[in-house]
Amino acid sequence: MARPVLMFDSLSCCEGCGLQVINCETDLLPILAAADIGRFREASDGDVPHYNVAFVEGSIVTSHDIEKIQEIRAKTDILVALGACATHGGVNMLKNFQDPDDVARYVYGERRAWVPHIPARPQKAEVKVDAEIPGCPLNPAEFLEAATCLLMGKPFRLPNYPVCVDCKLADNVCLWHKGVPCLGIVTRAGCKPYLCPSAGHKCIGCRGLVDKPNTQAAKDVMAEFGLTVQDVLREFRLFQGIYDEVSKEA
Amino acid sequence: MLPLVLNKSDLGAWIEALAAQRRVAAPVLKETSPADRTDLKFGWEYIADPAEVRLDYTVTVLGPKKFLWPARQTVMSYQIGADPRPTAVLDHEPHVLFGVHPCDVTAIQTLDAAFSKDIADPHYLARRADTAIVSIDCAAPCDETCFCLDMGSLYPEAGYDVMLTPEGNRFFVEVKTPLGEALVEKAKVRPATKQDMQARQKFAEEKRGNFHFQLPFEVKYLPEILDASYDSLVWEAIARRCFACGSCNTTCPTCYCWDVDDDVAVDLTKGCRVRRYDSCQLDPFAEVAGGENFRKDRSSRLRHRMFRKGKYILDQTGRSGCVGCGRCERACVADISIKETFIQIAGSR
Repeated sequence: MARPVLMFDSLSCCEGCGLQVINCETDLLPILAAADIGRFREASDGDVPHYNVAFVEGSIVTSHDIEKIQEIRAKTDILVALGACATHGGVNMLKNFQDPDDVARYVYGERRAWVPHIPARPQKAEVKVDAEIPGCPLNPAEFLEAATCLLMGKPFRLPNYPVCVDCKLADNVCLWHKGVPCLGIVTRAGCKPYLCPSAGHKCIGCRGLVDKPNTQAAKDVMAEFGLTVQDVLREFRLFQGIYDEVSKEA
Repeated sequence: MLPLVLNKSDLGAWIEALAAQRRVAAPVLKETSPADRTDLKFGWEYIADPAEVRLDYTVTVLGPKKFLWPARQTVMSYQIGADPRPTAVLDHEPHVLFGVHPCDVTAIQTLDAAFSKDIADPHYLARRADTAIVSIDCAAPCDETCFCLDMGSLYPEAGYDVMLTPEGNRFFVEVKTPLGEALVEKAKVRPATKQDMQARQKFAEEKRGNFHFQLPFEVKYLPEILDASYDSLVWEAIARRCFACGSCNTTCPTCYCWDVDDDVAVDLTKGCRVRRYDSCQLDPFAEVAGGENFRKDRSSRLRHRMFRKGKYILDQTGRSGCVGCGRCERACVADISIKETFIQIAGSR
């Protein structure tokens, strides 16, 4: 088999996921030995006409982003969305719950007319995405696992269970039992060893929901905990504005 | 062996002496609530200093099971290519679990039975054979979730090498096995006097009085009660609150289901076969090739867990799948209680 050509690029985001890939450091060497890098916006110059696998971070917040992701899609065999912005719209989705003119004014200021801003959306809203690695930022271990699967020609699967599983296995005392509402109960696992609750911080849901979350139970438990619907939506909208349950007005 | 007594002041020296021969795992204080200084959170860890050991501990998120049956365990390593050279990995070293509560002693006996039946599990049994168990008796329930008395785990008859009973400034030391005898050789014990034995008797009476809770039915009928409840609407009602997060399984001292993954090095030259805890409450647990899932609904998974704990494990191993330790209820954000569930189905027949 010919050496696969990889590319890394970014739409609207902080490019933290690209940095996380670079942070894999020596772990990247076997990948570099097995594949060529056709383009890597965060790390080098240059481009090639065709890629086998494109890893693209960032969400779509302007019509320029749509053009860019369509161009990449046309040039690549496989498109992998990297990180929360790419997979779920990320924190950029927060603007969808605010007045668009206000957002344009405080984000782009005087030159807001120059920017063709549109409601934020994940990459899969515009093009076919073949695999997703969620998280803000992505977990380097999971990126390496996905890369290994690609090199082996084996399907890459995300864990389909909530953060609670890994949190309990880390022997953490549940944050709910310390009076802190934590979104780990419905958020997809896969962040270990970077579990926020292990550092005493609640899960803020950056990896999106598990496939079949019990949203009814989540509402009940949060209500019993004394949280209002507005509180709950605020918690969820940080990263999960993409879901119907969260985006609907209360 | 004659009843022995160890002064509490000599405990540290004993642990120190044991640590020279085996790794010592024990309950330690993990955190104190900033809001309530009396709210202590304990956990099981390998210790570096005998002063860390807290035999006055109450509950822990995970029990000592994790030292016998780690959440993630490499079972085989191999090369990728023409000559795979698969090699079994048996990872164990002499250790002592110091301060195991009676419920966990009983749970380990269930694990022993489960991992020994049919095809014996060499990974578990190698660790188990290298494990010494020093149990510490409970004077009172850890909290209101415990129902160890009902589940027959408050007075284990075996499963430990040494049992310590705390009373005043001393421990009663009961040696159960030859390994226990070897452990106690390192301790500054003395024969129990008549006064010691009277205090021992007093402890036993107080202990019996402190465990008030009792199920409203005899536990020997639990399998029948479960059988009669299979089609009950109770399962759906309870599962409305279930997140299917698996915390009940993850913390359970007798759950032993596992899944296997291959962990392949990025350079594709070698790999490890790794097994890790699985949980029957998780959506993919009963998913099979082709995408069919024979326990799609949370309610059927929840019912399955209650049946495992109250009936199936007992049927298969001869030992109860539930020891009444309360960990699953404590771990549940939605407050689903196995004890209350058993009571509810017993009442709804």
